[in-house]
Amino acid sequence: MPKSKSFAILEAIQGEMRRDKLLTLLYEYQTPAAGWSGRSINLAAEFGRPRVQFCCIDEQWIVGGAMGMSMIGVPAIAHIPSMTTFIPYELMFNHAGKLRHMTGGQAAFPMVLWADMAGRYPFQAGQHADAGLESSYARLAGLKVVIPSNPYDAKGLMTSAIRDVDPVIFCDYSVPASGPEVPDEPYTVPIGEPAVRTEGTDITIVGYAPQTAEIARAVEMLKKDGVSAEFIDPRTLAPLEGVMPAILQSVQKTGKLLTSDDGSYSFSNCSEIVARVAEAVPGAKFKRLAFPDAPAPGAPEMLSYMRVDAAKIAAAARKMVKG
Amino acid sequence: MGRQSKVGQGGAAAGKGGSPARVSRRTLMKTLGAAGVGAAFFSGGPAREAKAQHGPSHADKLSAEQLVAMYTDMLKIRLWESKVKDLILSGGFRGVAHLYVGEEAIAVGVCAALRRDDYIASNHRGHGHLIAKGGDMRRMLAEITHKATGYCKGYGGSLHITDVSLGILGMNGIVGAGHLMAAGAAYGIKVKGTDQVAVSFGGDGSIQGSFFTSAANSAATWKLPWIAVIENNGFQIWVRSSDVYGIVDLAQRAAGYGIEGRVVDGNDVLAVYNVARYAADKARAGGGPTVIECKTYRWYDHYGAGGAKIGVDGAFGLGYRSDRELRNWMAKDPIPRFRKFLVAEKVLNEDRADQIAAEVKQAVDDAAAFAQAQPVPKPEDGLVNVFAQGAVPLRNA
Repeated sequence: MPKSKSFAILEAIQGEMRRDKLLTLLYEYQTPAAGWSGRSINLAAEFGRPRVQFCCIDEQWIVGGAMGMSMIGVPAIAHIPSMTTFIPYELMFNHAGKLRHMTGGQAAFPMVLWADMAGRYPFQAGQHADAGLESSYARLAGLKVVIPSNPYDAKGLMTSAIRDVDPVIFCDYSVPASGPEVPDEPYTVPIGEPAVRTEGTDITIVGYAPQTAEIARAVEMLKKDGVSAEFIDPRTLAPLEGVMPAILQSVQKTGKLLTSDDGSYSFSNCSEIVARVAEAVPGAKFKRLAFPDAPAPGAPEMLSYMRVDAAKIAAAARKMVKG
Repeated sequence: MGRQSKVGQGGAAAGKGGSPARVSRRTLMKTLGAAGVGAAFFSGGPAREAKAQHGPSHADKLSAEQLVAMYTDMLKIRLWESKVKDLILSGGFRGVAHLYVGEEAIAVGVCAALRRDDYIASNHRGHGHLIAKGGDMRRMLAEITHKATGYCKGYGGSLHITDVSLGILGMNGIVGAGHLMAAGAAYGIKVKGTDQVAVSFGGDGSIQGSFFTSAANSAATWKLPWIAVIENNGFQIWVRSSDVYGIVDLAQRAAGYGIEGRVVDGNDVLAVYNVARYAADKARAGGGPTVIECKTYRWYDHYGAGGAKIGVDGAFGLGYRSDRELRNWMAKDPIPRFRKFLVAEKVLNEDRADQIAAEVKQAVDDAAAFAQAQPVPKPEDGLVNVFAQGAVPLRNA
């Protein structure tokens, strides 16, 4: 049984809190404790108050407090629940993303916004079934946005996010315990480095958590049809500069880019990636699959009709390849 | 430097010792009498203030050197900002400014109670806070005219001057946000285990948005060393606060969070110092936060120099307030009031006071000449400092 994503993330934070005696975690109800294979991590028990501190239902404090303390050299992680992802948006936009530039490089917030993300799940509806908010954050200058899609990346990206001196938003979607084994020791997955999940020659498919599981299944379905798809997981959504070369190289090879997004059709990271490829690769063909520009309904009949799944991804890819 | 250090304990004892009410009232009245302000000063929260356990003992302990430094800082703010106002009116000013003139006693009274390693988070009307915390008038003027050698290399301008090495966590263009930044810094102080304090300055408009609530509740819950200074100048941009608030004394809000609230005459630098020193000593000793409301008045418009003239104090003819109201407050100018007190106390004589004013004027003129002579930033520098490393690509060609 591979480590769960939750365990992997806490292992990353535990490692960094042992290394940096000031690193502090603020959170609401999401107790930073988890078990795996007879082992357990309990950050509150290990590090105590005030370094591991639960707070009242006040995301603005959790994020703004983390910013204030990080400005005086106390790096901080602000963990907020999924239905509140936008409450600290103003702080991230007007303060976290701008401070270094506004001060000519002399001040910064070395903090991590650990944002739980809901994802499109039935019986939740609207406020509790959102995806795509990472696109709204990725559009803001001065912020780094990472979005792991397996436990290995989650641990490595969390470690990178904590060590990064710029503010990083760690988008925490529910993802299956798949992918490489998660080492017990600290390691990093560099911010700005995409992962080529599957190599292929006929079509490039780009998508990130929470669409990666659907894309991976679609790639297997396509393989059976004789279509060789290259699947790239950006892992970092902002800044995109480090991510784009691998995608451009792939589309130059395949001539086709299909993106799949659980967020919105309009103004999503996938839209941005398509636009950048269109500028750089003349003659390429494009298709964007996405959740429609609508809130998520709670009834599963409506939700599954609206979502992108593996079969729809495979069908769109087949159409692009075979015409 | 643990939080239970002798410094902190001593400070707490000093604030609570003896029969503070009796001593404070007598000494405070004497002090204020000498300053030429009388009992009228106490309108608003008189009884509470006069009986306060902090009292005047802190101000009584200020040395002549400290008092003169405070007077000098008030003049620096007044003359530096008046220079900015004149530069704006002269045309071609490379920036914006929200002038602080009239409110100098607050910045100086509070910052005189702080140590160099304490933190302040300022607001849009923050030039005074920064000068009082030790900001360099030359680099400040260079910054507000967006020159390459300003505090923020010309990136930030007036609204964002920052110097973390002086404990200045920045001016801030988002009303109320400084309260949250300072409370966060205060939490960081708790993590570090030092006896520093973090002060936020905000106007009367800064306490209603939720930043203040987030800061205040957290500071109260964990007894953070946070001091919120509410500079109540009566106006939120051009809206009179009494028209949009259901309370008169904004420090009342503090009680709802479990925080001690104080109301003080913001035009009396020693009264401000007293309460700020009390709050700082309390915070260092682990006694938690204080909200200090300082009643004052803004001599100029919300921003810029509308209604003002070169070489003349005050902005007149503004539609949202009367000239009479302004004149009434200008008669309560904190600087001559403090000067009169210092002369009466023989801390200064008139000649020395004039000499200090001349020296400050010279320093301000030097700052203006310095700023004028400074280079502008390199255009391509707009692409760096977005992140710690590298530059973002230029996208306009």
